[in-house]
Amino acid sequence: MTRNAEAALLAAAAIVAAMGVALVNFAAGTGLDAQVALTFLVFGVSFGSIHMALRRWAPEGNPYLFPIAAFLAAIGFTEIYRLDPGLAAIQRWSLLLAGAVTTALLLFLRDEGVVVLRRYRYLFLATAVLLLLLPLLPETWVLHGAEVSGSRLWVRLELPMGTRSLSFQPGEIAKVLLVIFLASYLADRHVAMAQTGRKLGPIRLPEPRQLGPILIAAGASFAVLVYQRDLGASLLLFALFVTMVYVATGRAAYLATGAALVVAGGFIAYRTFEHVERRVFAWLHPFEDFADAGYQIVQGLFAMGSGSLTGSGLGLGRPDLIPAASTDFIFASVAEEMGFAGSIAVLVAYGLFVAAGFGIAIRSRDVFRKFLAAGLTIVVAVQAILILGGVLRLLPVTGITLPFMSYGGSSLLANMVLVALLVRTSHGERT
Amino acid sequence: MNRPIRVLAMGIFAIFTVLIAAVTYHQVIVGPDYRDDPRNVRVATGVTGRERGTIITADGVVVAVSEADPDDPLSFRRSYPEGELYGHSVGYSTLLFGNHGIEALRSDELVSDRDATISGVISALLGGDVRPKGLRLTLEHQLQSVAHAALGAQHGAVVALDPRTGAILAMVSTPDFDPNQLVGSAAAAAGDALDADPNQPLINRATETLYPPGSTFKVITSSAAFESGVASTGTPFPNPVELELPGSTATISNYNGQACGPGAEVPLSTAFINSCNTIFGMLGMEVGADQLVGSAQSYGFNSEIPIDLASVASSIPPASEFEFDLPGVAQSAIGQRDVKATPLQMALAAAAVANDGEIMVPYLVQEVFNAEGIVQESAEPVVWLRATTPSAARALADLMEGVVTSGTGRRASVPGVRVAGKTGTAEVPGAAPHAWFIGYGPVAAGPEDPQIALAVLVESGGDAGEAATGGTVAAPIAQAVFAEFFGLATEGS
Repeated sequence: MTRNAEAALLAAAAIVAAMGVALVNFAAGTGLDAQVALTFLVFGVSFGSIHMALRRWAPEGNPYLFPIAAFLAAIGFTEIYRLDPGLAAIQRWSLLLAGAVTTALLLFLRDEGVVVLRRYRYLFLATAVLLLLLPLLPETWVLHGAEVSGSRLWVRLELPMGTRSLSFQPGEIAKVLLVIFLASYLADRHVAMAQTGRKLGPIRLPEPRQLGPILIAAGASFAVLVYQRDLGASLLLFALFVTMVYVATGRAAYLATGAALVVAGGFIAYRTFEHVERRVFAWLHPFEDFADAGYQIVQGLFAMGSGSLTGSGLGLGRPDLIPAASTDFIFASVAEEMGFAGSIAVLVAYGLFVAAGFGIAIRSRDVFRKFLAAGLTIVVAVQAILILGGVLRLLPVTGITLPFMSYGGSSLLANMVLVALLVRTSHGERT
Repeated sequence: MNRPIRVLAMGIFAIFTVLIAAVTYHQVIVGPDYRDDPRNVRVATGVTGRERGTIITADGVVVAVSEADPDDPLSFRRSYPEGELYGHSVGYSTLLFGNHGIEALRSDELVSDRDATISGVISALLGGDVRPKGLRLTLEHQLQSVAHAALGAQHGAVVALDPRTGAILAMVSTPDFDPNQLVGSAAAAAGDALDADPNQPLINRATETLYPPGSTFKVITSSAAFESGVASTGTPFPNPVELELPGSTATISNYNGQACGPGAEVPLSTAFINSCNTIFGMLGMEVGADQLVGSAQSYGFNSEIPIDLASVASSIPPASEFEFDLPGVAQSAIGQRDVKATPLQMALAAAAVANDGEIMVPYLVQEVFNAEGIVQESAEPVVWLRATTPSAARALADLMEGVVTSGTGRRASVPGVRVAGKTGTAEVPGAAPHAWFIGYGPVAAGPEDPQIALAVLVESGGDAGEAATGGTVAAPIAQAVFAEFFGLATEGS
């Protein structure tokens, strides 16, 4: 029964995407064309195959997570198509690939479920670390790292034929692998880590020995920041480590220590790295540095302000003025053309996703699955908060994709895999 | 086990609430400021990029038109072919400086509904015409041009209207500006320069600036006297060289410092025709503050004129302020002290005399036509005020005709047409006087005869400076407008 609801909601999301493409066409003076049909088809095939896999291999899985992801993907895809139909064509291939990989994953997990992953924790950790290091490969190799807008988080594979190359962001996959590792590691250690050591006044300090993993996490995050100059990924990884340790132990001291480390690390980064300092200045005084560092933030604000309540209409605004309009700043693009109504719809969709994700974590009896569901949910929530906070000027812009909505194959693939793991976790969640 | 997850979920929802608050702040609360920020490129390519209807004069001259951008057929640029001639009346529609004039007040009809708004889409789906509508004005291009040329480099205003309908035939204010410069790429700098200009070229002096009306106000003082029965045109008045005001050391004297012509007594008609302040000071005190203020208010003072333009109300203090101030009444009766009027108000005073004492609602838009050129709406004349009685109006007509035939307004006369008028030379402390002429023609027009009422104001004496009077500076401008209106333009030039 619930799977029927899922089917209907997924079909609705495919229609939203196709209608969005049609509206963009109308604004440009053309009409219904192959793009509309192709978009409907790709959404239908990609989410249809996932749906069929769920019916077969996880029939009791949560029926709302994929529809929410599909809805966000549809809104994002419409805006990507509006900004650049060429990018949208690539994004369609990414959707198909993500659908195929997700279906394959559900097939792989069909018998034992996510629990099977618990055994391979160190394989995942090693793979994640390797993936995080990949962008540092020298430029002359066939598979090499590449720097995009100041951050080195891309890997490019030069294909033998012609001048084409295949790029991907390994960090996107790494974050999912790290969640699996952490959930597995913490499922074994959470009792020991929750042991309290000395008391310092009202604060109960954890054993110094147990703080090790947190400090390692802080170090790893800082390394990502230094070597790849990626503020967003660094913050995401650190927030993930700290919150998962908190979930596993229930010790608020970990959160407090983590927050203190973020503040201290942030301050050191601010004083040490010029690009961090520039971002902080642009965040605090975007209008004063309008022509330079503040340009992106201000263009985002102009876009949102111009959108007002109901937006300019698809294809009728100027989101193309915003740097990174289809990736990091896709929210501002949507806010301009779909207005306050569209922004709220997107925010509520993320809220529902997070609620459903934590619900799965709370209902799971098995600690590994509990931590896994919580961690996967945290990844989506923290990503959304970091980039939306940046666009909305609550935080410095950290440069991270908005899950499901931003243009980018690696991000879409990683986040779809993430949803599949969540839904598979919820299948038979009471066991 | 689940408590930390619940705490975390609460924290994340708290953050989402802050995100929603931030979106509300940026899109709804300060959104309009971002939208209108001059650095927002949307300002230069957005709203006014939409097509607006064409505005033409009564005689078909195009004064505002939207031209499609050759690179982008959906984007339009507003242009004003007649430049500064209609800058104050038609106004402008710009992104940086907003809309002004007819462009602002009739914007609903001028803008296209072909947009992404819900009402626009519904209207288009129902087969409604979403194309912008055009406006035909009441302004006559030739009359407007002549009035503009007659004012020349002097600062001032000319307003001319049809007294029987209220249709504005000409409205000129100088110094002026070219609205095209507020549309182009240099709009920001041009607009700032116009804003900062001490001569205030953006102000429409015809409707937005208050001047002491000086002796043109004697039309209203006479009207009050006739209506109350205090005096008629033949009533004799003592003829001193100087009028001493009771309870004060102030005096009122005539323009030339002499008595009002020969004789110990002169009739009111002579005092009107020669614009004698001494006698009108006396008349004002006899009429009394209540009647004087009441009459001024029936002519429209202290009320905003219902016109499709930004305007300010002409003003006279309430009668209660004159209770212990007879000198104030005397000075108000000659249009000084705290009496202030716009040129449009004084043109309406002349129009009231022409129209048997009734003032019509003045209007600038004669017709609204659709994209096919079919008229969809036509202005209907509406009475605004009953300014005075028909008999008082007839008596005033005689006096005013005398001003032009044998009094201070002779230089407004045109051959073959009976023109009436009243001059004014309004004193301004420490500056040259403002020169006024209000009038109309023809006197006693038949129902089919075209009729015109007007007001001319030249600020601070214009080219004549301290020596200026209404009769020497303003009346010739009125003459040029009358001559053009009555088809006598070539004569005398």
